This record gives sequence, C-alpha cells and structure tokens, in this order.
Amino acid sequence: MTLIQRFTGQIAAVAALGILIGCGSPETGGAKPNGTATNTSKGPETTPDATAAARPVSPGAGNKAGGNTLLIGMVASVNGELKPWGDDCVKGGQLAVEEVNAKGGIDGKKIDLRIGDSNSKPEQGKSAAEKLISDGVLGIVGEVASGITIQIAGSAFEKGIPVIAVGATRTDLTAKGNNIFRVCYTDAFQGPVMATFAYKDLGLRKVAMMTDKKQPYSTGLSDSFRKKFAELGGEIVDEQFYESGQTTFSGQLTNLKAKNPDGLFMSGYFTEVGPIARQAKDAGLNVKMLGGDGWDSSDLFTSGGEAIQGGYYCNHYSNKEQRPEVKDFITRWTAKFGKEPATAMGALGYDATMLMLDALKRAKTKDSKALIDAIADTTDFPGISGKVTLKGNGGDPPKRALIVQVGKGELIPAKAYEWDEVMKGAAAGSTGQK
Amino acid sequence: MHPSYLIVAGLDFTALPQQLVNGLLLGAIYALIALGYTMVYGVLKLINFAHGEVYMLGAYTALFTSWYFGFLPNLNQYPNSSFWILLIMLAGSMIVCAIIGVLIERFAYRPMRNNSRIASLITAIGVSLLFQYGGALFLPNSPPPSVAEKVNPFGGAFSVPIIPADAKLSEVVKATQPDYEQKKKDLEEYLASTGQEEFSSDPQVVAKRDAKQAAEQSYMDAKRKLETSGVKVTIQRGQLTMLLTAIVLMLGLRYLVLKTPAGRAMRAVSLDFDSAALMGINVDRVITWTFVIGSAMAGAGAMMTATFLGTPLTTQYGVQPGVKAFVAAVLGGIGNIPGAALGGILMGVAENLVVWIGFSQYRDAIAFVVLIFILLYRPGGLLGSAKVEKV
Amino acid sequence: MASSGRFWLIRLISCLLGIALCFGIQSVAHMLGNTYYERLIILAGLYVTLAVSLNLINGITGQFSIGHAAFYQVGAYAAGFISVHYMTQLHMGGYAWMFLMVVVGGIAAAITGFTVGLPSLRLRGDYLAIVTLGFGEIIRIIVQNSDALGGSYGMKDIPKDYAIWAVWLLAATCIATCRNLLRSAHGLSFLAVREDEVAALAMGVNITRVKVTAFVIGSMFAGAAGALLAMFEGFVSPPMFSMDTSFIILTMVVLGGTGSITGSVIAACFLSYLPEYLRTLQDANHQALMISGASIVAGILSALGSAALLKRMLEHASNLKGRLIATGSSIAVLIVAKLALTPLLTLVKPMAEKQIPAEQLRMVIFALTLIVIMLIRPSGILGRSEFSLDWLKRVFMPNRRMATEL
Repeated sequence: MTLIQRFTGQIAAVAALGILIGCGSPETGGAKPNGTATNTSKGPETTPDATAAARPVSPGAGNKAGGNTLLIGMVASVNGELKPWGDDCVKGGQLAVEEVNAKGGIDGKKIDLRIGDSNSKPEQGKSAAEKLISDGVLGIVGEVASGITIQIAGSAFEKGIPVIAVGATRTDLTAKGNNIFRVCYTDAFQGPVMATFAYKDLGLRKVAMMTDKKQPYSTGLSDSFRKKFAELGGEIVDEQFYESGQTTFSGQLTNLKAKNPDGLFMSGYFTEVGPIARQAKDAGLNVKMLGGDGWDSSDLFTSGGEAIQGGYYCNHYSNKEQRPEVKDFITRWTAKFGKEPATAMGALGYDATMLMLDALKRAKTKDSKALIDAIADTTDFPGISGKVTLKGNGGDPPKRALIVQVGKGELIPAKAYEWDEVMKGAAAGSTGQK
Repeated sequence: MHPSYLIVAGLDFTALPQQLVNGLLLGAIYALIALGYTMVYGVLKLINFAHGEVYMLGAYTALFTSWYFGFLPNLNQYPNSSFWILLIMLAGSMIVCAIIGVLIERFAYRPMRNNSRIASLITAIGVSLLFQYGGALFLPNSPPPSVAEKVNPFGGAFSVPIIPADAKLSEVVKATQPDYEQKKKDLEEYLASTGQEEFSSDPQVVAKRDAKQAAEQSYMDAKRKLETSGVKVTIQRGQLTMLLTAIVLMLGLRYLVLKTPAGRAMRAVSLDFDSAALMGINVDRVITWTFVIGSAMAGAGAMMTATFLGTPLTTQYGVQPGVKAFVAAVLGGIGNIPGAALGGILMGVAENLVVWIGFSQYRDAIAFVVLIFILLYRPGGLLGSAKVEKV
Repeated sequence: MASSGRFWLIRLISCLLGIALCFGIQSVAHMLGNTYYERLIILAGLYVTLAVSLNLINGITGQFSIGHAAFYQVGAYAAGFISVHYMTQLHMGGYAWMFLMVVVGGIAAAITGFTVGLPSLRLRGDYLAIVTLGFGEIIRIIVQNSDALGGSYGMKDIPKDYAIWAVWLLAATCIATCRNLLRSAHGLSFLAVREDEVAALAMGVNITRVKVTAFVIGSMFAGAAGALLAMFEGFVSPPMFSMDTSFIILTMVVLGGTGSITGSVIAACFLSYLPEYLRTLQDANHQALMISGASIVAGILSALGSAALLKRMLEHASNLKGRLIATGSSIAVLIVAKLALTPLLTLVKPMAEKQIPAEQLRMVIFALTLIVIMLIRPSGILGRSEFSLDWLKRVFMPNRRMATEL
C-alpha cells in the first residue's frame, strides 16, 4: 500500500465515522445551544420603526443585573498598533464612570467598568467581548476600529447585549443587528462632507488621493469621498496606496505630482498622514491637504510639521471648541489625567460610556433587553461631541461634523456641517443603504 | 508642454529618474539595518528577530536626545540646530543601540548558544515581543518625531534638471498672477471689513471666494504646468546627508572587516566557529563586537529615518523595516556584508518601481516576490554561496 | 497476514475512542454552559490542528517553515467565499456543508502548499523560512487588495455552521495522521530527511517527494482548520492571519518540543489559553490592578536572571536531587532579586511614578514566558518524547518489563 493510499484510507475512515455519528444524531451532536449556529435559516425580522433600516433583531436573551453593582464592559485596544486611540477611549470611559459613581451611581448601585483588551486584533477583540459577556456585563462600549467592532458585534448579537461603538465609522457596521449603535457619524457622512467642502468651499477640481490599504477605515472613507466628489463634478486624478507602518511615500507622491492635482485627500491615520504631508512638500507637491477624523491627534502638528499646516480635516469635535460643554469636559479631563485628550476618542469614549449609563438609568429593568430599547430610544443625548439621537435612526446618529484647519500649533474650527446639509437627497442618508 | 512623448504604455517616464533616486535613498536605510542581520547571521547563524526592536529603540534615543537639546514638541520657539547636534544624536543612537544589542546577546542568546538554532530563534522572537510590548509600557505613545524639520539644519533641496522647463509657460504664470493676488486681496479686505468667516455662506463672501478660487485655479495650474514641463530629479539635502552617512558607515565597516585584526577574527568566526576558537580567537569577544557594530548600524539608520522622514514613533516602529531589511539581507546572501548593502538598495529600487508602474498597493509584497525569484535562481542569494548545510 | 484482522480492530476501536473523546470535549464545553469557554475550547482545537500540522513540516521533516498562517488563511477564505456565494444555490447546509467546506479548505490549502513547497525545495534552512514567510505576506496582501474577498475589512456574513466535536475531530485526525506517519516506514524517511538530507538521499529516500508530501499534508490540515474558523467566526479578515499568527503557531511547536506531537498539543492548548488567562489579572474588585513601573522592570529582570541561572545550574545537576536544589535555589534567587531590585529601581523617579494597569502586561508576560521556557528547556517542554500507552504503563506499572519499544 502506498503512503497516500494508506493515509487517505484512515483519514476517510475517521472522518466518515464522525460524519455518520454527527449527522445521525444532531440532537446529541450538540447543536444546542451553540453547536451549529442559527444564522443560516433565520430570515430578517423587521423592527416596527419604519424610518430606520430593517435591522435583524438580536435573538439572545442578554444579561441581567445582579448584586450591588451594575457591570458595564469596554473593549479597547490597550495593546498593539491602535494603542493611542485605545488608551484615550479607556480614559474617557473611566472618567464617565467615575463621575456617575461620584453622584451615587444608578438607583443606588455603583457602576463597575470592566476593560477587555483587544490587542488591536479582531479575533482577540471577540474573545474579550465573549469574556465580558460571560462575566455578566449589561452592555459593551467599544471599539475604536470598525474591523474589531464587527467581531464584537457578532458575539453581542447572538447574546442580545447592546454595543455602543466609539469611533468605528464604517458605514455598514450597524446593519448587523438592532443591538449595535454608535456615537460617531459614519464614513457615508464624513466622505461627502469633505468632498462638499473641497469642491464648494475650497474650489478644488482635481484631487489626488492617498489610501491606506491596510485599514478598512481608510478604504471606506476614500470610497465615499470619491463618489461624492465625482458627483459634484470634480475629478479624482489619481489614487495611490500605502500600508500603515510604512515610512517612505516618495514613490507614490512622485506619481501623484505628475498628475497635477490641486488637492490631496488622505484618508488614513495621522501616524502616516504627517510623514506623507512632509514628504509631499519635499516632493514639491504644494497642494491643499484634506482628510478625515483619522488625522485627529495632538501629535498631528509634530508628525506633519509645517507641511500639514493649512490642511483641513473632518472631526467629531475639537478640544479648542468654545462650546461650554467642551470646555468643561477638557477641564475635568485635565484634572484627572494631567493633560488634554490626545485624540477625539477621549471624548467619544466618554460619550459612548455616558450614553450607555444614561440609557441604563432610563431602562425600566436593569437588563440587556431593556437597555437595548433604552439606547434605541435615545433622543438628543447631550454628548461632548454633539447631540446624539438614535430614535428612528437605526444605530447611526445623524451628527454634526466640524471641519478644522490645521494651524500653527493649534486647530482652528473652520466650518461646521449639519447632517441635513450634506445628506439631503443622498439616498435617505447612510442609515438606509446597507 | 509636458513631454508627453515620455509617456509610453501608460508609464510616465518623466518620473522614472526621480523614482530611481527615491529607491536609492530608501535602499540605503534598508542596507544599514540589513547589515546588522547579516553580521549576526554570519557569526552565529541566528536570525536576530530582535534587531528591528534595537532599531526602534535607536529611534527613541534620537528623539530623547533631540528633546535634551530643547527640541521639545509643540513649542513656538526652537533653538538653532546645527550639524553637531545631529552628530551627537547619531552617536547617541549608535551607542545606545550597541549597548542594547550586547545586552540582548549576553542575556538571551549566549545561554542558548549550545542549543538548537530554532530554540534561539524562538528566544529571539520572545525578546522582540518583550521589547515591543514592554517598551509600550514606558515609552511615550506615538510621540512627535523629533520635530524633524527643526532639528534638521539641512533644509531645502536641490534639483538636477534633465530636460529643462518650457520657458514660454513662465509667461503664463506671470500673466495670471496679478489677477489672483487682486482677487485674494479683495476677499481678505471684505472679510476684514465685515468680520465674516472665510467659509460663511453669505452670498457676497461666496461670490468673492468663488472669484478668488477661479483666479487661483488658473494661476496654480499655470505654475504646475511650468513645473512639470521639464524633467528633473529633486533630492532633499537631509536625505542626501542620510545617503552619504550611510555610505560612509558602510565603507567604514568594510575597512573594519577587511583590514583590521578584529575584522579578520570576525571573518574567521563566521567561516568556521569551532576552528576559530581552536586557533585562539576569543569567540565571545568577536560575537560581542559583531552585536556592537550591527546594532550601531541599525541605530544610525533609526536616527536618520526618525529625523529626516518624521514618522511618529511607536514601539512597533521597527517591525516593518526589520522584516524588509531581513529580506534584503537574505536577498544579498545572508552573512555577506556587501550582499546586504546590495540587497537593501535593490529592494528600495524595486519597491519604488512597483509604485511607479502603478501598483502601490502591492509595494510590500514585491520585496518577497523579488526575493523568491532570486532565490529560485540563486539559492544562496545574490552574492552568497549556496552550500549544503551539515546538520 | 494473520494479524490483519486484529490490526483493523484496534484501528476501529481507536477511531471510535477518538470520536468519543471529541464528543466528550463537546459535552464538557456545554456543561460549562458559557460561550466564552466554548470559544476557548474551539480556538484551542484549531490551534492544536495548526501546531501539529506545522510540526509535521518543521519538527518531523525538519523543513523550517514560518508562514503557516498563510495556509490557514487560504482555507478560511476558500470556505468563506464558497459559503457566501454558493451555499444557497447548492441547497445544502448543516453538517454536510461543514464537512464539504472543510474538504474544500483543505484542498485549497494543499494546492497552495504544493505550489509553495515545490519551488522552495532547492532552498534550505533559513532561506526556506524566509520564502514561506514571504508567501504568507504575499497571500495576505493579495487578499487585502481583492474586493471580491472583502479587502482589508474582511469577509463577513459567512453562514455559521460549526460544532465543537468537528473542530476536535479535525485535530484528532491530524494527530492520528502524524502519529501513524511517524510509526510507518514512510515516516522514517521523513525523519531521515530531518536528520541528514545528504545521508537520506544516499540511502535512496526521495527527498523531493518527502518534503512536498509534508508540505501538502501540513497545509491541508491548516486549511481545513481555516475553513472551520471561517464557519465558526462567520467573519474572516486579513489581520487574523498576520505574521504574528504564524509566529504563535511556530512558538507552539517549539515550546512543546520540535518533533513531539504531544508537546505541540499541550503547547497549543497552553499558549492559546495563556493570553486569555492573563485577562483575569485584576484586583479583588475587578478593577485594573495598578503595578508600578519599578516593580514590573524588577520582575522582568529577575525572571530572566534566575532563568539563566537555573539553566546553568541544571547543566551541572546530574540527578533529581540536584535538579530540585537548582530549581529551588533559582526560585529563591528570583524572589530575592525581585524584592531587592524593586526598591532600587524605585529610586529612578519616572519608574516609581509610572503606574501601569495589569491588563497591559498581558503580552509582556506572554513574551517573558516564551524566553524563560526556552532558556530553561531549549528542546521544548517535552523534547521529542511522546505520550503513549507504553509510557503510561511505565509510569503506573514500573515493575512490569516492557517487551519492545519502537
């Protein structure tokens, strides 16, 4: 008998026996409760809310509060490449919980915020979420990145636990189920905002793009920008790609320069945007630079230096805004942590946690099911980054966007866009198209 | 006019000289890091996976040194930089990296020397992870990259023209300039007099803004057309300094290895570890020196990339350059010092050519594609010799 | 052959036992009644398959492959893609579909393994390593740039069809294949290639065939594991198969003992659980435990120091008593060094002031465990030894003489 014959024979024997037993007795084969999943046969049920997209209803039973504390989970990138955002997100959550506890908690019960580390990786984020759910959290706050959030959302959907994403702007994220929400706008809003601003306010007609192929955030944002800019009548002269972690971009920039653009849209994170801006200036590409909320960091000035000055990006809010709630928030944050939040994820993490706690306060019974309903019912929640209304909007709140100009060592709020201004007529907003 | 005859089959040959120069500059850095891999491999037959982390710590050293000289982030006033500060930063990074390299060797690799190579390799991976994640506990999160242009006294660039720019186009630039400046002044005066914001939707402002933008479009367009009508190669002074330093360091290394007793001992150990020991060479000392030199080269590369390219630092800073440099070392023939230099430069150029032909998304893959093809035809790398390993 | 009937009977019984064990694992998982533990058990099963299949290439055949995640990825994406696009058309579902997808993932990965293995045959040692690593990266980048596969975001909405028993059955099949291979004449040629390629060639072993077979079988199981991963997660994305994943699998193989299947199984379970266990680093109130920087650095330094000391002492220890003394004294050194270093490092102001939440130490402890185990036992936890019935008999019935040993 040859080697192959011999082993294929054995493998087949083992496998076939397994299948026989498995197929013969699916009940004992352990399909319940999580053996084989149920997704395949499940048809989408519709929410009674007609204005929102029909989102599948989470089949899980959720967790119930027990003991003297109310458990809330947060999944964040405490380790790994997304650490700058993860750290701010955790701090925001801790600040929110501390403030609520200082006021006596909710119904006399203290809030217990448990942090799960996703290590900037989707599957570890999912493990963290599963761990938190098995610990009995009523809801989960997080993640910053869309790729990790979708994994968390998957687990939470099956268990019926609400998730409030912090900075995940990927548009199709909340289509997963009726338990997924976010406190930020989506790329379907952010891209068009920047496209409108570039075309109408800056008068740009030929824009080149730099997209980070490794980050789903960046590719999604580039897509929505490209679509809207072309719709307005502009031309995308060229798109070049890079991967986060790279340090030299001179090759891509040399190509872009040959195409004579009058603007450069960079949809990646500030860690690469800064060096790209520097190297673009070095390559003689003196054009207006634009980007999304991935730019937002106090390190942008130093990573981009003088080259990034005069650039515009779309943000959720700005530390420098004169609104009283922002000023107050910055004071409280600085008192606790010693310096201003480095990224917008500080405020968004705070908002997401606060929204969760606010909904928990409103929830009739302290369990996940009631919490989902309470979150979905949120109207005009006064977040630091703007008002959040989830009622009638599915999981995506229509929020304002603030375009800020990068000045010399400071961010200058340039123009605020309201949701309706940009999304009017654009296929009923992002909540509709999934 | 744009020399359109230079666009053949969708490829813009006007950009080719610049791309080759870009590749050379990038390759010089890969080469510096690759030297460390190749030297350690030469004497120990160990892939030093922690080399990328040594590089990362070198970049942090450069950052802290620049802070010491007053180049702190987010200042309004910076001290004047000089060549000497850069030199001290370079020396500082090289020294710190050398020390770290020696410590890693002493505490992680030396105890493993008599064990299987794969066990040393796993230890190396462990050390690499320890630095990445342990470093993240103490080192600042993505801090500013040493305020690059402030600390860099070699501002500006110089250009080498290959095809001169079209003189006629400069007339167009001159013709459109006054109109643009007039419109710009109009808008600014109006905004100042009425106290409006630049992007307000007041019809007057919008009209003036649109007028300014139209004039700006034609002015800038003329300017850019002028610029691209010729073919030239632009090199930043800082990057040129980087290239020259790399060349000096590599020549110095070559001298050290070929002409000095220490170098001879190193070559002997690399050729045959046991016989070298029998011939009275202090193998431990040679290995220590190998780590000193290899790590110092990585330190130099790190200091220069941190200063002249300005990427924010994280503790993952060394991962990607580390992998690329390792590939470069294998490409040139691992254990072979000129091979590492050649491999580095070849990879830098290959990456830029891939970008040039329009596949920038596959830039990271090309390193490996080139590697696989070269290894299939020369299994020992470009300059290396493929010999059967005896186990 | 007279013993043929008995041979097949034993085979049948061991098959049944293996299957029973898989269902046993599933029942235990269900008894725990917690999807988090179920998840851990499934991931452990997948990692066991991955580690054992890599061990076939690395440990048993001696081919230094460090890009195993690539095959895992090929299997996952093949199964995911076909499930997303063709499952409803083929009117299939449930276990049959799961089995089909495992086969599809396995075949896709085996083809990839063949393509990687064949041209790489001219390469040895580290050159082969870097080529396998390179193939891994190339595949990741191709997937990342392919919109049909979901790009960098990943492929979502893969129909979920999985069962814990199936995951472990795959692992058991993988273990059985490798074990039987080792016991066979063919397996000896694998070992011969590992020990000395030139000598093996001289003895008439078809080196090419052995290497390619190892690559194909190893990648096939990795691909099958990938298919199960895709159907378990319902979502696959490129970061799940990054270089780190390859390194983790390689680490499992080496930590368990290169060449020891039992070692791979133990190390895979241990290393897939360790980071999860470290999540529980919290104080009594489930709040982040804050540890001072000085204490952490002191801990790392003294752990490394005492591991190096232990290694040196073990080299000189000849008997059990000596080993126990060595272990005891190095643990004492560890404690003393930690206690002495902490106040010393506290003198450095930034270190004393820096307070670090324990959860951030997860990956540091992981890395430290790796180094320390490698320092103390460079040949891995089990070296090359295997768990077997004979071994059990020897342990529990030391008086009985074993007739023969393989």
